[in-house]
Amino acid sequence: MSTNQSPPIIEVRDIRKAFGDTVAVDGLSFSVAPGQVLGLLGPNGAGKTTTIKMLTTLLPIDGGAASVAGFDVATRPRMVRQAIGLAGQAAAVDEKLTARENLDLFGRLYHLPADQRKKRTEELIERFDLTEFADRPAGTYSGGQRRRLDVVASLIVDPPALFLDEPTTGLDPRSRAEIWDAIRSLAAQGTAVVLTTQYLDEADQLSDDIVVIDRGRVVGEGTSAELKSSLERDVLEVTVAEAGSRDRAAELLNGDEVVAIDETTLHLPVNRPADSLAALRRIQDAGIEIADFQLRKPTLDDVFLALTGEPTA
Amino acid sequence: MTTTTMPSPALLTEPGLNTRLRWAVDDTITMTRRDLLRTARQPEMWTFAVTMGAFFLLLFYYVFGGAIGAGTGVDYIQFLVPGVLVITALNGAQQTGNSLAVDLSEGVVDRLRSLPMNQGAVLTGRTIADTLRNTLTLVVVAVLGYLLGFRFSNLGAAVGGILLAVGLGFSFSWISAAIAAKVRSVEMVGMLSMFWLFPLLFASSAFTPTAQMPGWLQAFADNQPISVVADAIRALGDGADASGLILGSILWIVGLTAFFGWLSARLYRKNA
Repeated sequence: MSTNQSPPIIEVRDIRKAFGDTVAVDGLSFSVAPGQVLGLLGPNGAGKTTTIKMLTTLLPIDGGAASVAGFDVATRPRMVRQAIGLAGQAAAVDEKLTARENLDLFGRLYHLPADQRKKRTEELIERFDLTEFADRPAGTYSGGQRRRLDVVASLIVDPPALFLDEPTTGLDPRSRAEIWDAIRSLAAQGTAVVLTTQYLDEADQLSDDIVVIDRGRVVGEGTSAELKSSLERDVLEVTVAEAGSRDRAAELLNGDEVVAIDETTLHLPVNRPADSLAALRRIQDAGIEIADFQLRKPTLDDVFLALTGEPTA
Repeated sequence: MTTTTMPSPALLTEPGLNTRLRWAVDDTITMTRRDLLRTARQPEMWTFAVTMGAFFLLLFYYVFGGAIGAGTGVDYIQFLVPGVLVITALNGAQQTGNSLAVDLSEGVVDRLRSLPMNQGAVLTGRTIADTLRNTLTLVVVAVLGYLLGFRFSNLGAAVGGILLAVGLGFSFSWISAAIAAKVRSVEMVGMLSMFWLFPLLFASSAFTPTAQMPGWLQAFADNQPISVVADAIRALGDGADASGLILGSILWIVGLTAFFGWLSARLYRKNA
């Protein structure tokens, strides 16, 4: 996958959305070129779904501007709908219809002529490996099969822009890998993809660029490698034996940067490996039992933690 | 992997008025087909729906028939069948709200709203599919009614009478759709119908003649759509002059459809 020099398919400038007093999206900007996968990464409630809904014309944009395939989302929603595919969080395929019928339904609603609809349906079934269940009602599918059909259904017209809202949430690893393959091959063929996810490995695997958002704002952006190298420091992870002594241990690590991951585990970025020895000794000298510790290179999780101040799921 | 880049016809050109009108018709047919296919895939649901009216008819005929017939001195089967046709039509119309509420709450509608389809087709497709199914149910009632001794004055009256019931069901489908577009929950749609449909049904000539009702209620009961349509069908059964009642029925059906069609489209767009 490469980010090329073509003009962007999706352009978002400073968009905003509030529901009453709650600001859901607070000035978000990014652009996506053909063949590029942009990962919108953030915790629950970060504004990811709201952003997707605005860009796919489901919610009006309160401020700023966005365009898809050259059409302004606010003023040309009809044209935008012709240029996008969307797979939302709920797999919105019709459970009573088979995969073939669902694809045909979407083909009709995109106004494809009958011959192309049939050709395209068969092509998608074959290419995305839906053959074994193509003629069973979608209600009988596994979660992964249903999601796959949902994503594939949005491809019936080969849209220039594809929006996927948490496409693999709740799926088993094998199904996730299948969806990932599908997304990669789409991007390879030139589709601009915006993908939201809570999973760091998903963003790491798929995205050329990652935008980390929290409370509706961009808190970090860059490639996965750039984001990781922005955290040059190693991470010390300490697990204390008893939950009750965690907060005391956090004090002894004396840094504002200590983050509690769960009831017994703490994270501390350290400048030099030797610093971690001193930190551990302080905890031990206070009589707190250490169940486990490790010093490691930063992962995207750590980047996320550093940017949003909270651990991912 | 072979990459197949297919031409996307009319994908990024602004559709003209003619194209949009054609799409509106195509999309309505597509959505009607989809809803009918869904119904066909749920045999337990549609057999129940289709026999519901026949069940009403038998229940009323054998349980209440003797008492009401003797008390009012009317030919009860001639009175009963038009009433049951109307009740059946309204019962079928409730399905519109239920199905729409399911689609709205399950994310299907969000998905449909992101497509370049005519958005009104989601509603019209639904109401048309429900009306087609309702028509079958009403024919079953009419046939059973015939077997029990009910007669329309002639074949034209039979077709007209069933069409009036179908039309009433269609207009009430739009009321149901408007409620679903507003409340978006199957439970709420069901509960609310207790508050508006039941009183409307009982304060009508569907079950009993309105003559024994207090004057103020009778004035309402005689002129509300359910009674007007039921009485029109009765007139078509008895061979009496039905023209005034038929005109009244058509005005109600067209009026209700226009108003609630507009309202449900508005609520659907606003709340989706």
